[in-house]
Amino acid sequence: MSRKLKDSLLNSITYLCAFLGVLVLGSILIYVLINGLKLINVDLLKNDYWSKNYLVAVENDQSSTFECDGCKGYFSSKWGVSFIDEVTSHNEKVISVEYIAENSPFEQLTSLTAGETYGQIVPMEKGYMIEKIDYIDSEGNTAIAGKILKQDAQALQESLDNASSITSIYMKSPGGGIRGSLIATLYLILISLIISLPIGIASAIYLNEYADKSKINRWLRQGIETLTGVPSIVYGLMGVSVLFPVTTVFGATGTSILLGGLTMAIILLPTIIRSVEEALIVVPQSLRDASLSLGATKSQTIFKVVLPCCMNGILTGVLLSIGRVIGESAALIYTMGTFISDNPVINGPATSLSLMIWSFMSAEQPNFELACAISIIILSVVLILNIVVKIVGKKLSKNFV
Amino acid sequence: MIDASKEKKNKLIDGICKTFFLAMAILSSSFIVILVLFIFMKGISPFLPGYEFGQVNIIDFLFGTTYRQDQGIYGVGFIVINTLISAFASLLLSFPISVLCALFIVKIAPKKLSVLMKSVVELLASVPSIVYGVFASGLIVIFVKWLASIFGITTAGGSSLLAVIILLAIMIFPTITSMSITAIQAVDKDLENASLALGATRTQTNFKVVLTSAKSGIFAGAILGIGRAFGEATAVSMVAGNKLFGPTFDLFDITRTLTSTMLAGLKETSGLDYDIRFSVGIVLLFVIFFSNWLLNSLKNRIGKNS
Amino acid sequence: MDTCFNVTDLNLYYGEKQALKNINIDLYKNKVTAFIGPSGCGKSTFLRCLNRMNDLIEGCKIEGNILKDGINIYETKTDVVELRTKVGMVFQKPNPFPMSIYENIVYGPKCHGLKNKAELNKIVEKSLKQAALWDEVHDRLHESALGLSGGQQQRLCIARAIAMQPEVILMDEPTSALDPIATSKIEELIETLKNDYTIIIVTHSMQQASRVSDYTAFFLLGDIIEYDKTSVIFQNPKDKRTEDYITGRFG
Repeated sequence: MSRKLKDSLLNSITYLCAFLGVLVLGSILIYVLINGLKLINVDLLKNDYWSKNYLVAVENDQSSTFECDGCKGYFSSKWGVSFIDEVTSHNEKVISVEYIAENSPFEQLTSLTAGETYGQIVPMEKGYMIEKIDYIDSEGNTAIAGKILKQDAQALQESLDNASSITSIYMKSPGGGIRGSLIATLYLILISLIISLPIGIASAIYLNEYADKSKINRWLRQGIETLTGVPSIVYGLMGVSVLFPVTTVFGATGTSILLGGLTMAIILLPTIIRSVEEALIVVPQSLRDASLSLGATKSQTIFKVVLPCCMNGILTGVLLSIGRVIGESAALIYTMGTFISDNPVINGPATSLSLMIWSFMSAEQPNFELACAISIIILSVVLILNIVVKIVGKKLSKNFV
Repeated sequence: MIDASKEKKNKLIDGICKTFFLAMAILSSSFIVILVLFIFMKGISPFLPGYEFGQVNIIDFLFGTTYRQDQGIYGVGFIVINTLISAFASLLLSFPISVLCALFIVKIAPKKLSVLMKSVVELLASVPSIVYGVFASGLIVIFVKWLASIFGITTAGGSSLLAVIILLAIMIFPTITSMSITAIQAVDKDLENASLALGATRTQTNFKVVLTSAKSGIFAGAILGIGRAFGEATAVSMVAGNKLFGPTFDLFDITRTLTSTMLAGLKETSGLDYDIRFSVGIVLLFVIFFSNWLLNSLKNRIGKNS
Repeated sequence: MDTCFNVTDLNLYYGEKQALKNINIDLYKNKVTAFIGPSGCGKSTFLRCLNRMNDLIEGCKIEGNILKDGINIYETKTDVVELRTKVGMVFQKPNPFPMSIYENIVYGPKCHGLKNKAELNKIVEKSLKQAALWDEVHDRLHESALGLSGGQQQRLCIARAIAMQPEVILMDEPTSALDPIATSKIEELIETLKNDYTIIIVTHSMQQASRVSDYTAFFLLGDIIEYDKTSVIFQNPKDKRTEDYITGRFG
């Protein structure tokens, strides 16, 4: 075979390998976009994950007629509500409330659920899903309507217009949102950074500014570097065995955001130490000399001259850390639990965005659409962080030229 | 201008700061010791006499070929073999592609394409494992199912050893590639020029001189990559299928890795079923430690030859 | 004449290597003393001994005495920080902090606990005037010091050192990174500063030494070969090696 042919063959193999890389990234992006994009909207961000069930009675059932100009869906002029057909993030067909007219009897509903909430007023809101309505029709017979009968919005509206009074309504608040997990993720980022940043920056300063080449310092460095190679699931084990007692002081009784945050803080340490150290190395020695020659103490030199010069490095560390926290799952399964909470508290269990995916992907019926939608959110954040890190890094190298 | 009390205070602050920095550095590096110590203590407890949930025989645990939480049988011997198989197979699949991709980026690609490819690799590196998991359980399993149907084999919905291998190969691709890029960039330009001056073509130089000179760094990338393959948990769990016995040698059969075992059916936070996960964790640490040690000594031997 | 530093039997080692051999020298107050010699001869190393900046270098070991006002600065009880406030330093390359011009000047005083705004302002004005920089920068004191030209930056560094009101200013080849015009400005500045400060300057340029200094010491391979009035060194050197060096036969 001629040399030229052989060369071009080898070259095309490398092109192929590079293409495989692009193919993988492309298919991941296309896959999550195709499956998840249709769910990305404001409701996803602001809704609870769990929908609440309500059984309510219509307080005020004298009928009158309501007007609705150009409102969407099927409007029941007798009751002043309009319904539309929708598909939820769990791929379920539902009838949801689109519009409630002023003074509609549906504005004032009382709870029929036995217990503490009995008799309390429950306002119906846009987006609520109607499961079942018991009513008495114009001939005085009891009848039911709603999703249970596989009715669509139009059929429901027709049934209601035919009703003389409504006995009870069984409805659900919209669910499938990620608000709780978003908040929990923010808490998690805050807690882990608050703990990890000071320890990490101080360690980096010691290693770079104070440590000589003695054996002990080599051991210290080695210890920190070894942390990088530990798989994150092992950190999860460490979290529950070492850090759990710390969180009980703050009232945690089991897995909690706090425990997850503490565990993440340790996972982040090597990252933060490395980024800060990389920035410290770049600070010219002459600046330190100048400060010391003016009679500043070493710590004054560090806080007033050296640290301000490596703010970019610290920022890089923070950004990388945020990316890591958002993406982490294995360590958090042990420390934060997998129960999706809509109202996360720091010393209670909750899920971050990644954990939320894990939570319903490991269930019997995996919900790919919602998983992909959350993946899109995670990937966009990671992408933005990456770009910012690059910009910051470029500035860092320009700083001292 | 010099105020004696101020100077004294400055000195005191200086001393406190130094002590604080040192204390933080010691704290940071002590975590690894604490980590190993506590996991070891908790993980070894089920094998000690007087263990409150019933002592487990350590030999049965280490060499067992069945792992059934529901029946209280815990043997991780086959799981270790499965883990080794999936990790090394993924390395085998990913290594040549990664190295050639790195060579492409540094030496072969036109400037613009090279920058683009570098970003692709960086992006792949920053995709969280849970997203890889979603991708794997949504798309890779379908590919595996389709592949199996060609051979007339039915799979458990695509969850299989092959799916794990493909997933891990994808996940370690950016690790090996970026390490290889660094290694190839560090190759001495003079060596290349020498080869070119001898009448070798660019491509011959790339393959014969550049790759061989960079092999130590490339190998380091492989070691880092396989470390990631061993430790990967969530994504693997989503496609492994968690077989109850083994080892699994059939590519289309479901499998079970150490990490997927640690995550499988995690509900209670006490009891034998929970504590045994720490024992599995110890085994995982040992597997990582030994394969690192083995590969590193192999690397040193290769390094000496050149 | 008052001496500022009495150095006796000073030896300095970097690990195994001896960088300074048995240095004995008296440096005089309110004079400009120049250290000349080929590169690597130990003149900068010796300069950095005088404010103990060599302490920062790992593996550096010092024997002998350096007396400042009769006190050995290498005694363990000496406060290095205090020493450095009295012995200021200007470096080879201009190294302003990446802060504003104002912040650069008040850095030292602030480190020593001076907070009074009016006093700080006074120090800034006085130092910049002494460093002959006030006219050029008084209207942009709060702009970044990195925006100044190289010569201005170096004068800022001198002003920064002056702000501490030191007794001695050490200058380590202060003009080596500057163009001729900036260099002549610094040289003029040294001329005026010597009334208030003792100046010790390391220089590569023999012309500079002859122009600005009162005394000159010639270093070779870690040794002081000759030390005398500048006029003597440049007109009747006693040692053959000094003569060879200043006439340009080597170095």
